[in-house]
Formats: sequence, structure tokens, C-alpha cells
Amino acid sequence: MLWYKAWLETRTRFLTCLSFLVAILVFFVHHAESILPAKSNGYELMFYAHFYLAALWVLSVVLLGMGGLLRERATGVSSFTVALPVSRERLVTVRLSVGVLQAVALAIVPWIAILLVSSSNGRPFPISQACFYVLLLIGGGLVYFAVAIFVSSIVEGEYTAPAVAYGVLILVAIVCGSVSKLRTYLDLWRFITGDRYYNRTTHLLSGPFPWFGIACCGCIAAVLFLGSLRATGNQDF
Amino acid sequence: MTAVIQTRHLSKSYGRVQAVHQLNLEIKRGCITAFLGRNGAGKSTTIKMLLGMIAPSAGEGTVLGLSIRDAEANREMRRRVAYVAENKPLYGYMTVGQTIRFASSFYPDWCADRAKDLVNRYELPIDRRVRLLSKGMRTKLALLLAFSRRPDLLILDEPSEGLDPVGIEELLESLAGQAAEGTTVFFSSHQIAEVERIADYVCVLERGRLMVDASLDHLRESYRRIELVFPSAPLEHDFCISGVERIREHGCAVSIFASGNADAVVERARDLHATSIEIAPVGLREIFLETVREG
Amino acid sequence: MFFKLTPTTGQPLYLQLMQQVRHAVETGALQNGEQLPGIRTLAEELVVSPNTIAKAYSELEHEGILELRQGSGAFVCVKRRVLNLRDHMPSVQRRIRDLVDRLRDDGLQDDEIRRAFEAELLNPVEVARNA
Repeated sequence: MLWYKAWLETRTRFLTCLSFLVAILVFFVHHAESILPAKSNGYELMFYAHFYLAALWVLSVVLLGMGGLLRERATGVSSFTVALPVSRERLVTVRLSVGVLQAVALAIVPWIAILLVSSSNGRPFPISQACFYVLLLIGGGLVYFAVAIFVSSIVEGEYTAPAVAYGVLILVAIVCGSVSKLRTYLDLWRFITGDRYYNRTTHLLSGPFPWFGIACCGCIAAVLFLGSLRATGNQDF
Repeated sequence: MTAVIQTRHLSKSYGRVQAVHQLNLEIKRGCITAFLGRNGAGKSTTIKMLLGMIAPSAGEGTVLGLSIRDAEANREMRRRVAYVAENKPLYGYMTVGQTIRFASSFYPDWCADRAKDLVNRYELPIDRRVRLLSKGMRTKLALLLAFSRRPDLLILDEPSEGLDPVGIEELLESLAGQAAEGTTVFFSSHQIAEVERIADYVCVLERGRLMVDASLDHLRESYRRIELVFPSAPLEHDFCISGVERIREHGCAVSIFASGNADAVVERARDLHATSIEIAPVGLREIFLETVREG
Repeated sequence: MFFKLTPTTGQPLYLQLMQQVRHAVETGALQNGEQLPGIRTLAEELVVSPNTIAKAYSELEHEGILELRQGSGAFVCVKRRVLNLRDHMPSVQRRIRDLVDRLRDDGLQDDEIRRAFEAELLNPVEVARNA
């Protein structure tokens, strides 16, 4: 029943973000495609659509990372959860898993909507490209989610954790942005928006799919998840 | 009688503050034990250590024979223990019905019939969200989650808080019913009058230390207040007898609070030619206040 | 059958219950063979620990006033000694009435008489002698 609880806890947040994302992107794509010149295939448009999606996705995903025992302690409910006959690891893992599934949904569903809209507007977009975009977003973007989860495991307060998480991400972006060497290797933002693989002539993402980059991101995310497991296991409630 | 809860030198400190100090508890099976203490005495901290929610700084303990220091054993123990925390925590985003379904899924000793019966008796609206319930209803729901089970051990932290007198009476009836089924009851409370009726044993905690640990019957039989009047003011050391806890003097009148050995005090008073000797029983409230207040 | 247990009188609740059961048997409020409420029922009714009821019933069984039948409950089984006591109750009450009248004639108030009785009865040595 822990899955059910995690779902009930995040349901409103998730559905609000999902509706918002889908609505904005559908509106953007539909409106932009209606003013495109007839000869353009609209691929460049998709790049910008994904850019906006990525930005909103990161913002949403940090919100989804809100929760956990520390937040429950701030709202006075942790005694109930911690007293359940389940291990703390299980509590964190279930919350994490529900969040990851929701993050994946937040990446895939808007893209399906975009594909449907452009298809109905007579400007079909190759599905393989869409998959490329989606995989970059999820594979790389889960690091942002992991940061949010980790911060929520060490920062107490009802709304403090996401605020701190946003702060951390902005800080890292500034630092990475200002040091050019770091920028080449560590610019996660360029990675998930597809900017690194965008061909300005064909307006398509090209090149071999960056499995190595995704694996590195996966490792970072895993380390952060393990960190939150450890932190939660050691705390007093 | 086997001990359901047993601790040895259990301690918890936060920095330099000792919340719980070298606690040696022994809670007997099948009995109702009350845990008294002022706010901040360490009752909730002790209970949370027993349940594995707070890690002890020192010492060890077992609950239902399972060590409180071992996470795995702890988890198994929590399956057989029903606990209601002080602030009656519930998830605001769940409805009453969802909360009951959620809780019931974790415990093999859940009685669905009893839950249904209690929902009707407490008149809880099944489809209303918990955050929209009144404080009294929230308290009743939190208690329902515990009373719908047949656990080996029932631990309640200030269960009567948030209840009106009728609710308190129902609570005590439920405790009596649980104990009659063989459940060991361990609860902390500020309601001394209620504790005096329902409890078999009483533990008094003050500043993290166990000051009193005895059966209520023993306290009733042993504690006495002895009012004496003498022809002339006696010396305090005349009454340094074992059992005498506190002596108050007012000229020729002496008031003695004794935890036992009242006969010896009376005999000494007679030897000193007291003009008036009155022995009165001491209620739990007075025992508690005399124990925790500074002289 | 109405029992009332008072937690603040310095006497264990189970002793109070025992006294009240004995008194009920002596005065005939409880007849021979009558069944007393079950431990759980009485505990919930009086809102006391079931261990109190269980101890009282157990002690009364030792005294021969109750018979605890496995699975059925507690039944009054008045033995000879108690029957004799029931015959004596009227004369006991008369003696108490005479004593109280005499103490009143001496000038004692009712409160003082009550306190003097309580102080005398609370003396543990006295209690042990009667048990």
C-alpha cells in the first residue's frame, strides 16, 4: 500500500504539472505551426518545443521530489510512517520509484501530444527523433530529480527542500556556465535539451546515441539516491 | 510474569542535554502500565526508542523479546505492536476510508469487523479527507487504527488528549477490553484520575530518570500522609526513618509524606508524645506531584 | 448488582471489589448460585483493569465465596462461614450503631468519628489480621 500512499500524496502535484505541460506545449506547437511558412518541415520548431518542455520538466520534477520522512516530520506525520512495519529503505525506494515513473510520464506524455498535434497539422515528426529527445531528457534529467530527492532527505521543512533544490541547481548551472572547461563536459542542460547533438542544417538530432553520457548521468543519480537512503536510515524521527 | 518491554541503562542525549538517563524498565505481560511524567520528562523519547524510531545513545532493550537496536527485529516487532503517537498523526490527503484501508494492509492482526463497528460508533465520515476532520474525530480515527487490531502490545502516547470526557471514558473502556484479550497496554498520560482507575502499574519519569516503578496497589497500600501535632516543635532528624520522603513543619505541626513504613513513623510519633496522629491515604496525583516537584 | 470502586481511598481496588461482593452476599443482594459478570464485561463496565477483577474473583474463590467455572464464569457459592456471618450481620450493625451513638454523646462530630474509623482500619497490621 506504500505505492498507493505515494500516489495519493503526489497525485495533485503530478496531474497539475502534467496538464500544464501538455497544455502549454500543445498550444505552442499548434500555434507556431500555423504561422510556419509552407515549405518548412517544422523540425526546428520541435527543437524549441523540447527546450521549453525540458525547462518546465526540470521545474516540475523538483516539485515531485518534495516529500519523504523529513517533510513528514515538519508536518507532524512522520511518527505514523516510521512506525509502520516496513524498513526505511523500502519507504525511500517506493517514494523514489513513484517519482521516477511520474518523471518519465511527464517527459513522454507531452511528446505524444506534440506528435499528435503536428501530425494532425500535416507536419509529421519522425518518431525516432522524438525518442531521441525523450531519452535525452529522461536519461539526463533524472539527475535533477535525484538532486531534489537527496535535498529532501537532508533539508527539513514543508517547502524548504524544493526551494533549496532549486537554489542548488541554479548555483550549479552558474558555476558550470562560467568555467568553460566544465561547460564542455558537465553541461547537463545542453545534454538534455539536445543542444549538443543538434544539427543546425538538418534541424535534427544526429550522431550516435550517447549511451555513455546517459550511463554517467545514471550513476550520478544512483549515487544521490543511495545518499538519500543512507541519510534517511540514520535519522531520528 | 514475563516482561514484554525490558530496557537496560537506556539513554538518549542531545548534545549536553540528557533526555533519558540509564532507564531500566520492565513492563509486565498482560498488564496495563501507565507512564507518568511532566512535559519534557522523556516519555515520548523513551517510547520512540523502544519502537526504533530514535536511535539510543547508550544502553539496550527488548520489546516482545526482539532487540530495539536491530533494524530487522524492530520491523518484525512493529508488526505486533500498535502505536498511537502523541499528536495522532494521520495523512491529511487521505480520506477516512483510505486511511483505514492503508493501515489494515500492514497488520495480520487487523479485525475488519471491529473497524467497521468503531467507524459507526465514533460516527466517522468515511469519505471525508482527514485534513477536514475536527480534532476530536482525528483523535478517534487514530485510536481506531490501534483498537481495530489484536496486537501483543499497545503503546499509546497521551491518548486522551483531544478527547472530551465521554471520549475519555470510551478510551478507557477500550483499554480495559484490549487488556482483557491479553494485550499488554503501555500508555503515557497526564490524566492522573484516569490512570488511577485503569492502570495496574505506574512508572514515573522525571528529567529522564525513573523515579517510581511500582504496582498501583502497592502505592495505595504504602504511601501515606501522616499529620502530627506535638506539644513542642520536634527536631526534623527525629523522623529520618526509611520511607519518609518529605517532612513539612509548621511550628508544632508536622506533615510527613511517606512512601512506606507508616507504622514506624506512627510509633516514633507516639514515643515523642504526639498529641494528634492522623494517617490519610495518598492519591496518585499527590504521589506524582511530590515525586517530581523539587523540595 | 452495582459495584463502585474508588481509586483514591488508599485501598487497592481489588480489595474494595472483594469487600463489596462479600457485603452483597452477606446482605442477600447476591444469592447462592447467582452468576457474576464476566471479567471483561465487569472491567469495561467499571472501567478498571481486568487484572483487578481477575484478582478479586481469584481471591474470593480462595475464600470460598465464589466458584470459578472454566468457560462459564464466576458463580456465588456461599459456604457455611458466610451463611453464619449473614445471620450475624443484624447484630453487628446494632453494635456499630450503639458505638456511634455513644461517641456522638461524647461530643464527637460525624466527620471525626469517620476519620477515626478510617485511621484505625488503614493500619496495615489490622488489614493483615482480617485477611
